[in-house]
Amino acid sequence: MKKHLIASALALPFVVSAAHAQDTSTVHISGFGTAALTWSDTNDAEFGRPNQSSGVKKNPRTGVDSNLGLQADYAINDWLSVTGQGLVRKDGADNYGAELTWAFVKAKVSNDVSVRAGRLVLPTFMISEYRNVGYANTFLRPPSEVYSQVPLNSVDGADLTWQHTYGDTTVSAQLAFGRAKTELNGGTDADLSRLHAINLSAEHGPFTLRFGRTEAKLTVELASLNTLVTTLNNAGNAYKISQLNDMARVVDNHKKNGSFTSVGLGMDWKDIIAQTEYAKRKIDSASGSTDSWYVLGGYRIGKFLPYYSHAKLSPSSDFANTIPTACAAGSPAACTPTVRTLYNTLEGLRTSTNSGGQSTDSIGLRWDFMTSADIKFQVDRIKPDGGKGLFLHAAPGFKGPVTVGAVAVDFVF
Amino acid sequence: MNKLFAMLAAAAALSLAVPAMAEVVVVVNPKAAESSMSKDQVAQFFLGKSSAMTPVDQPESAPIRAEFYKKVTDKDASQAKALWSKLVFTGKATMPKEAGDSAAVKKAVANDPKAIGYIEKSAVDASVKVIYTAP
Repeated sequence: MKKHLIASALALPFVVSAAHAQDTSTVHISGFGTAALTWSDTNDAEFGRPNQSSGVKKNPRTGVDSNLGLQADYAINDWLSVTGQGLVRKDGADNYGAELTWAFVKAKVSNDVSVRAGRLVLPTFMISEYRNVGYANTFLRPPSEVYSQVPLNSVDGADLTWQHTYGDTTVSAQLAFGRAKTELNGGTDADLSRLHAINLSAEHGPFTLRFGRTEAKLTVELASLNTLVTTLNNAGNAYKISQLNDMARVVDNHKKNGSFTSVGLGMDWKDIIAQTEYAKRKIDSASGSTDSWYVLGGYRIGKFLPYYSHAKLSPSSDFANTIPTACAAGSPAACTPTVRTLYNTLEGLRTSTNSGGQSTDSIGLRWDFMTSADIKFQVDRIKPDGGKGLFLHAAPGFKGPVTVGAVAVDFVF
Repeated sequence: MNKLFAMLAAAAALSLAVPAMAEVVVVVNPKAAESSMSKDQVAQFFLGKSSAMTPVDQPESAPIRAEFYKKVTDKDASQAKALWSKLVFTGKATMPKEAGDSAAVKKAVANDPKAIGYIEKSAVDASVKVIYTAP
């Protein structure tokens, strides 16, 4: 089988180009999209989806929740296929941009096992893989409190999936390896290397339970943090205070061990819908740890599905600030003011990280007005925890709560 | 008055003309190993939970399709579509092939030992094997 796989992978470019000349009936073109209008009740801060660089104020805009995806699946034979998916939406850069979300070759090794290689979307969260497909989701947008925690669009690598059905329980396990690069809002790049992930799920009748863990070496090139690291190291070397060098290592954002663990539960029982996820992010740096969760409940009445959700994000900048507040006797006069300033800078970093928390209550209605399209209305009440939460470009003195409204049409074809 | 009577009669005739829901049966290739299946086993192929067999759908406009999904998978057409869109847009599966009518489903099933389809009971013949009858 292995030989078979390698031989086929080598032959792939030839097969793909030859395919154009042949019967194209095995190429499936499908697509999804959302046309939406979003607005809020404040002009003091902007509301956006995770990693967008701008959002909406009182003036309704289409950019926050609208997108369009196109996918092509080509079956080379009954066990080998190629999939490509492109997505147009607003993300880290402030205009509609096209991304290649998927581009992979999939080999079905047996009825239970398949292997994929290329560009993949990792199942970091329960709905990661279809979070941009509005039609496949109950809510109008995934709760930002949880889904902002890993702004990872796709991974270049490979994965192996095993799925088996025991009676009426379907169990699946997925292992993935690769690397990823994402442009964060603000223009910095987040780089994940040596990324590996595991995803386990069990589906029994109307219930789905899943567990996922992703680990990687994370690098974020942020000029202000790099400067702080240099300053801490210089001061530590000059005054021979090793705690300053320790703190430089804490603040440094290069090749830090990061992990992301989440558990989720979904239910679609008779007319009742429930979905909940808890996620914990840990990064070995001053600003990396968060806890987040959401719970969603809905009740289907014919073609209508009213729902409610609550989501919460709690960052916890839990490093110990070991910088002394005074220098030893005999130190240069500038020493004590310098270490005090650096001590306060780190406490400021902690405060600003911890003020990124917020919670959201949402009510909404999904109406399946036709087989391949729905209309959604959603109102969110967002309460930042003292700071600006996940809002963008907040004016000084901004504090919530903020009400956000949206109406969207989701479709698939 | 006569006109009204005629209209009423026509309306009554129309309501009589609406056929009783046809019985839905699930069919596979006569060479398939299975001789019967439970409702849940059939449903897993049509909801993309198992790829051991290849589902063949009827057209979206066919009444038998809505009836099959309601009776066998407990989902209406929109719910089934939403489930499939999760699988399709994550690259896990492609939408089931659609056959034009029950005769085309029979043909597809008769030609593929791994195919599974659903047709009206009255359309069953020797080219396919019934493994489940919807209540």
